[in-house]
Amino acid sequence: MVSPIYLIVITLGAAFLLGLLSERRTELAHFITVLALAAGGLVSFGWLWIMAAEGASAVEIYTAGTKPPFAINLRVGLPEAALLLLIYLTGLMSAIHMKDMLLRKGRRAMAVLLIAIMALAGIIMTRDIFNIFVFFELVAISTGGMVLLSDDPRALSAGIKYLIIAQVISILLLVGIIFTYQATGSLNIDFMKTPELALGGGGTLAFFLLLVPLLVELKPFPANGWALDIYQSAHPAFSAILSAATGSAALFAVDKIMDIGGASWGPVLTGVGLLSFVVSNILALVQKNDRRLLGYSSVAQTGLILAVVGQRELLGESYLFIAGGLLIGHAVAKAGLFYLSDLVKGRMLTNWADLRRNPLLVFAFATFIAMLSGLPPFPGFYAKWELVHALMASGKTGLVVLILFGAILEAGYLFRWFGYLMKRPQSNTPGTLPLRGVLVTMAAALAGWLAAYIWGELSGYDNLLSQTALLFALGFLLIDWFPAKLKNTIAIAGMLAFFWQSYTGYDPIQMIFGIIILVGGAVILLASYHERGQRIGFYPSALLMFAGLAMLIVAEQSFQFFAAWEVLTLGSYFLILRGKNAEPHALSYILFSLAGAFAIIAGFALAAQGQAGFKITALADVAADLAPWVFILLAIGFMTKTAVIGLHIWLPGAHAEAETDVSPMVSGILLKAGLFGIIVLLSNMGSPELYGVKLTYVMLWIGALTALMGNLMAAFQEDAKRLLAYSSIGQMGYAIFGLALMNHLGWLMALMFVINHYIYKSMLFLSVGGVAKRTGTKLMYKMGGLITLMPLSFFVVLIGIIAVSGVPPLSGFGGRWMFYNAILDSENRLPMIIIFISGPIAFLYLFRLIHAIFLGQLKDEHRKLKEPSFWIMVPQVIYVVLLLAFAVLPGMALQKVDTFLNGMFPEGGLNWDGLLITSDYGYWSPVWIMVVTGGIFAAVFMLLLAINRKAQKVKQFNIVYSAERPYRPETTHFAWNFFAPYRKAIWFLLLPIATRFWGGITEALHATAGFMRRFYTGDAQHYVFHLLGFVVGLYLILLGVQ
Amino acid sequence: MTLQNIAMSTGFILILIGLYGAMTHKNILRMIVGFTIAGTGTNLVLIAVGYLPGRAAPILNAAVPIETASATIVDPVPQALVLTAIVIGLGVTALMLAFAYKIHATKGTLDISKLTDLKW
Repeated sequence: MVSPIYLIVITLGAAFLLGLLSERRTELAHFITVLALAAGGLVSFGWLWIMAAEGASAVEIYTAGTKPPFAINLRVGLPEAALLLLIYLTGLMSAIHMKDMLLRKGRRAMAVLLIAIMALAGIIMTRDIFNIFVFFELVAISTGGMVLLSDDPRALSAGIKYLIIAQVISILLLVGIIFTYQATGSLNIDFMKTPELALGGGGTLAFFLLLVPLLVELKPFPANGWALDIYQSAHPAFSAILSAATGSAALFAVDKIMDIGGASWGPVLTGVGLLSFVVSNILALVQKNDRRLLGYSSVAQTGLILAVVGQRELLGESYLFIAGGLLIGHAVAKAGLFYLSDLVKGRMLTNWADLRRNPLLVFAFATFIAMLSGLPPFPGFYAKWELVHALMASGKTGLVVLILFGAILEAGYLFRWFGYLMKRPQSNTPGTLPLRGVLVTMAAALAGWLAAYIWGELSGYDNLLSQTALLFALGFLLIDWFPAKLKNTIAIAGMLAFFWQSYTGYDPIQMIFGIIILVGGAVILLASYHERGQRIGFYPSALLMFAGLAMLIVAEQSFQFFAAWEVLTLGSYFLILRGKNAEPHALSYILFSLAGAFAIIAGFALAAQGQAGFKITALADVAADLAPWVFILLAIGFMTKTAVIGLHIWLPGAHAEAETDVSPMVSGILLKAGLFGIIVLLSNMGSPELYGVKLTYVMLWIGALTALMGNLMAAFQEDAKRLLAYSSIGQMGYAIFGLALMNHLGWLMALMFVINHYIYKSMLFLSVGGVAKRTGTKLMYKMGGLITLMPLSFFVVLIGIIAVSGVPPLSGFGGRWMFYNAILDSENRLPMIIIFISGPIAFLYLFRLIHAIFLGQLKDEHRKLKEPSFWIMVPQVIYVVLLLAFAVLPGMALQKVDTFLNGMFPEGGLNWDGLLITSDYGYWSPVWIMVVTGGIFAAVFMLLLAINRKAQKVKQFNIVYSAERPYRPETTHFAWNFFAPYRKAIWFLLLPIATRFWGGITEALHATAGFMRRFYTGDAQHYVFHLLGFVVGLYLILLGVQ
Repeated sequence: MTLQNIAMSTGFILILIGLYGAMTHKNILRMIVGFTIAGTGTNLVLIAVGYLPGRAAPILNAAVPIETASATIVDPVPQALVLTAIVIGLGVTALMLAFAYKIHATKGTLDISKLTDLKW
């Protein structure tokens, strides 16, 4: 292999060679530049390969023919090789990306670029602290030059600010170097380690002065105003270098000199890093300029990695895996986003909407924000998992809270941005996207996927990118140009085949969920046949969600469970965002979900206590003092997904604004993920007590209140899909209540609920959605009288609401029957009463669906409507058949589950005697109920028909309105504000307290950010003051802590 | 007070004077002068650290035979560092002057407090 010294030689040599060229041979000069960077990348890759794949040990390069400490030595080990590759590839891609600019500025600019990359490589390789200083100065000078490669005239002032700060840094660094030299007698890192330089030793100040300038190179808050200005005004391809390459080199420099100072300085790094991470993410919330936002995000990410560097003793062997995972995620994603920003004309975040003309770029953007947010399958996900586990195991809960808080803020602005990209209006003069820029961006995105695969292989867990389900979903990215109908067939076939292949391994509970997810999902997908065209993006998202769900129910280890959880969250987010007005709702969905996921990861980490490959069944063995906390964290996570009261505000919008065939997926199927989590939690952990309170008792109350409030709020909706969405909140409340009863019938009821809710909610969402598609509105008071035009839809909704409301003869009644039996088994009377009350409230809203949509007067503009399209009706008919079958033969699904539950709750099971089901309190005979109810119905119906003969037919318009057209026409509609009297009576229950609460938090954060960022006045001298204040302040804090 | 202490204190005083100048003067040229002064102070500090009283300059010739050099010369490393630092300082100063020139050419001012179009 070529000696690494040639990295320096090639790059520097090429820079000199450029000087010999004629001014006009710019194409040649650019070719030489690209060639040199590519050669550097190749050499780095060669070393990385030798180190990683063949296990070679680090190589030393002795300069001046003498061994250290008498001459400078360079070293290339595994981390060095990886970072060198990162730096050279970033340099290469940036050089290609900004070719036009480089050609315009000529060979000098290219030489400066080469020098910058060479200097960064030097920082990585050298073991000499003065050499680090020299290379940093070279970086400073070349950065000063590269900033000017921008069309933005403000780059000039950003450049001078940077140089001013660089001067201060260099003074501090020199003083620090000379005093550490005095204290240790060497400039070579490997010879400088002495206890005196440990925090609190005699050389504390000397090492502090060495460390702080390097920290400032990482642009920590508050000494980072200059960096943000550069990010905002420089050429984005250069910002990519500054963020990905320079940031990595500076981090590695800090990591190296930590060898000198020792672990006692770790907390300093962690403190500085976390402060930057949290504050920069807050400040980014109000940022509207894309590049400055990326600047804030860069600063934040670097801070997070710095915090990890500070914990490297604690992390031990996994340090490189974690820090590397975060670093690669940050570097690739940030470089990619900067490249993308060059393809966008305007500088507002909303201008990024133009990018969605090219699905490839949308894919790239999604890749980048998933990488930054630490979502699977990217390296940051594995790193986050390991990091949180290590920190929780050593009791550093505070750090975990800060990290997760910062991470949710970051996810907030990143996913909001994605929402802008997908939903905001595009500009009128889009122009063409330059092919070179698109290619470079795609290369970055692919590099991200490659890194994802590598980290999966390194992780010690099953590589997520080798999971069949996930690969099947991702495969749809490759065939996304196929027509939608073909992809739909492939999707349905795939899901059924997957089920066929895996069902033998399911236990009865998994079987229920498996059938609902895979077979049920396939049934809903039948409705998707109504879509024409390509429907780009739908299938990868939907299948990602289904893959996550399928992986969730078979997960054995906590890691698999959590990975599946994140996958289904991400997939469903993309799916929900497809709805026309879904932008804000999808955002709140993903934020609540991610926050819930953070609770889950913290819970698992707390339970695992550092144990690798923690099995979910081991939750049963968690130490008694930790168990309640683990329970609470996990329960919060799962109940966020089922939208319990207080955490529910994301659900109505997300479910109601989704596309017609998406609503049933996210309501009928996705919600069950949360229930499955609760089932797993309760079946393994039982009911731990905290301060003498049984936690399942708390859950019981939460379930009861959710059922009551969900139903109440549903009753006052005007929007039919929102009504169904609120109804889901209530229904999930019932299920949680049933599970929290912790008895046999409660669980059986909850599982029956899982099936029932899937069937009737999917059915209702499809029929209401289908009607809404025809009428063009979801508001019920704008409909009416549709029974004659859409009799089939009417029939489906009728069956659906009979099933939901739990009256005989349909399966809802069975659920109720078991439910009341379960309650009789339990001692908790008060929440029981609440549950009883919420029952009748369900009638209130269900009645409105039939009444407002199908009965009453037909609207004039609806006169020519027909039934919803054939394919939307197909699954509905299937559901009607299923409902009737399930009503007559509930045993076919439940008997096995009943037996299975005997393992957990031996008492209180049901007796299954043919078609007769008996409990301790009574019996239920589904067939007889069907017959009797049918008989009564038929009798009444005949009677009505007989009476009806005497009725006089009146045409719709044989009445006359003599008044003017009312100002708000809906006020004259009988279905508008239907339950106004009830609203008057219980208005206090309907106050949007949760919405206000979460809104208040969001506003407070934004206001803080708006206020705090004024701190960056833009004045270079203020920035110098910030820097010195940071140095002095940090030192004073250190003195104080000692 | 030894020569070493005088040199080191002078160095630190120069650094402080330089930084004070750079932070109080709005004119970019004056700021550059401030940083140059501070840079000189830094170099002085470096030299002072390597100085050993009563020893000769680290130049090996007839007066300083190579065998006894380690006991008779001052530490050469800081001096080498200073040489490098001076060269780098020259480069950075030149670049800053170039920036100052360009800023004056495009914006017609050298007042640093007027260059606040990037902020927040």
